[in-house]
Amino acid sequence: MNGLETSATSTSSRAEEVFQEHRQGVLARTDRLMAVLMVAQWLFGIVVALTLSPYGWEGRIKTPHVHVYAAVLLGGAISSLPVALALTRPGWLGTRLVVGVAQMLWSALLIHLTGGRIETHFHVFGSLAFLAFYRDWRVLLPATIVVAADHLVRQLFWPESVYGIANPEWWRFLEHAFWVVFEDTVLVIGCLEGVKEMRAISQRTAEVEALSNREKEKSAELDRALHKIQQSQEALVRAEKLAAVGQLAASVGHELRNPLAAVRNANTYITKKIAGQGVGANLTDPKIKQFLTVIDREVSVCTKIIADLLDFARERAPVIQPCPLRPLVDDAIAVLPESKTRIVNAVPEDLPVPSLDRDHFRQVLINLLQNAVEAIPTDRDGEVVIRAEASEGELWRIIISDNGSGIPEEIVGKIFEPLFTTKSKGTGLGLAIVAGMIKAHKGSIRVDTRAGEGTRFTIELPSQPVFNAA
Amino acid sequence: MRILIVDDENSLLMTLVANLELEGFQVVGAANALCALELLRHEAFDLVLTDIRMPGMNGVELFRTIRSQHPDMPVILMTGFALESLIDEAILEGAFAVLPKPFDIEHAIAVLSRAVSRPVVLLVNRHYGVEPAAATLRAMGIACRECEGEGETLSAVRARTADVIVADLGILGDKTPELVRQVLSVDPSVAVITIAGHMVPDLFQKVAALGAAACLLQPLAPAELVRIIARARARPFTRSPSNRSGVEGEEA
Repeated sequence: MNGLETSATSTSSRAEEVFQEHRQGVLARTDRLMAVLMVAQWLFGIVVALTLSPYGWEGRIKTPHVHVYAAVLLGGAISSLPVALALTRPGWLGTRLVVGVAQMLWSALLIHLTGGRIETHFHVFGSLAFLAFYRDWRVLLPATIVVAADHLVRQLFWPESVYGIANPEWWRFLEHAFWVVFEDTVLVIGCLEGVKEMRAISQRTAEVEALSNREKEKSAELDRALHKIQQSQEALVRAEKLAAVGQLAASVGHELRNPLAAVRNANTYITKKIAGQGVGANLTDPKIKQFLTVIDREVSVCTKIIADLLDFARERAPVIQPCPLRPLVDDAIAVLPESKTRIVNAVPEDLPVPSLDRDHFRQVLINLLQNAVEAIPTDRDGEVVIRAEASEGELWRIIISDNGSGIPEEIVGKIFEPLFTTKSKGTGLGLAIVAGMIKAHKGSIRVDTRAGEGTRFTIELPSQPVFNAA
Repeated sequence: MRILIVDDENSLLMTLVANLELEGFQVVGAANALCALELLRHEAFDLVLTDIRMPGMNGVELFRTIRSQHPDMPVILMTGFALESLIDEAILEGAFAVLPKPFDIEHAIAVLSRAVSRPVVLLVNRHYGVEPAAATLRAMGIACRECEGEGETLSAVRARTADVIVADLGILGDKTPELVRQVLSVDPSVAVITIAGHMVPDLFQKVAALGAAACLLQPLAPAELVRIIARARARPFTRSPSNRSGVEGEEA
């Protein structure tokens, strides 16, 4: 309700605004039109004066008739003020009132110049019609008064100049005034109707504007809603992907663990047999030993992949216990395969003891360190540094930085997504596992990376972890 | 040393048996729980290693049956699943350890050898906070012994009777790191678990750096201690940062 009222109020105020704009436009335009008319009348007046009574004769001397002077000087005087006002103050009430008066004075002057020709009186009516362009009846008022006064005064003192004869009837001015008032009546009605129409148009314009604004708002709202839907759609797809990975992991793990274990056992047995007993001459082919090594290595790779999948699939709640960080980092470093990369455990000796799930966090460190080592191009000396900081009541911060090749900007947002990988060999689960385990610790992980300079992972853990009651 | 292995996967059973025989164990394979129970009725074994997921009676039910018939028989479970409520149940009822498949033969041998020696959990110090823990462990069917002081502890370790030591940091205090160091130098395969009533960062740091398996805080849920003991017993070797080869074959 309130909204509707507000919108109605705003529409009507907007309608008023549109109306004023429109009206101001009409007034200014008419001012300009009248200014042009003023100048044209001046020129016309001079031409009339020159053609009808160009010269007077006084004896032999030919001089320009006084009418010519009247047309030039008086006409100039009448036209100059309204023209000036129309140019400097278009749309002002004063301007159009002056224009109205000036226009009527022009009628008077022209009537005078034509020696009171009755036909010239039509100028009065034409002028009033022109003034009605203002669509403001107030303009007609001073104009009418000027006409009436002019006729009355000139009838009294100089009847020829207005009626063309020396002794008009006394009521002649009244007859003229009547026709002027008659036209005024018509024009006032026209002006009022014009204003009414302008108001109606403004109202409609404002309504259309409001309508289109509402439409725009609606479409923006729709856009926003669509965006939201797309986002939740993406989240849903991600969640489904996660669930699918989980199920896949569990079933793959189930199906593959036993056969893998059997292959591994068989391989171990054969390897030991050959190594220990040097069975028969037909086994001297060095490829047999070599291939057994291959089998062993590749089975280990498979085992690791399955372990990753199951790490991802399992959702064991972390068992939070005090766990000194520095020895844990040493422990994780020891598991990494040998490489040229230097791994520096820069965790302070006297760092307070955080509370973590030891096994989970060890896995987190191993995955991050493994990635860091692999991020370093083989042709340069690499260094991976693990630092940690903690202070009373603050977040725990563990920072793993490398001087590797960095993560390209376009993929940095995806690295924690399951199944996302840039490695030719990799499940794309390593960082997803890390993110999941840190989330289970109620912590967060973020990555800062610079192409060619390296990457820094920052893990933040709450200082007061929730201890399991189990 | 006679070991009974139970697994419905024939290829796995066959290869595991062969490998353990190669290492000098006497091994008998059973394709399912009923076969295993039948064998147990007629023959003597030192240890049972069983898969969990099997058609018919599963490994945990088999474990329970064995427990009722042969209360002292160590039972090790193996499974392809990292997390199953069944595993947790078995651990809380006193299964020795759970091996995640696939495992190295060396890993299996380490855990089997440990189990066959029927080790006890050593609780230090007798006269202080350990009685409730001891009662819990006994209730769950886990052999344990309370002892007092460094001397008694070390002699138990030397005698290879204990494979897990639960030490109260609050009582031993500053003497703990030295005890841990001595224990591990005598037998690196022992898992040392320390418990404290409150956070003692420097002591935790020291014992962890020396290779303690876990540092726990009171109040400690009994089930938690049992799980940690089972996990420690499933380790392939000692987990000492200085011993790099010691972590090979660790669950990846």
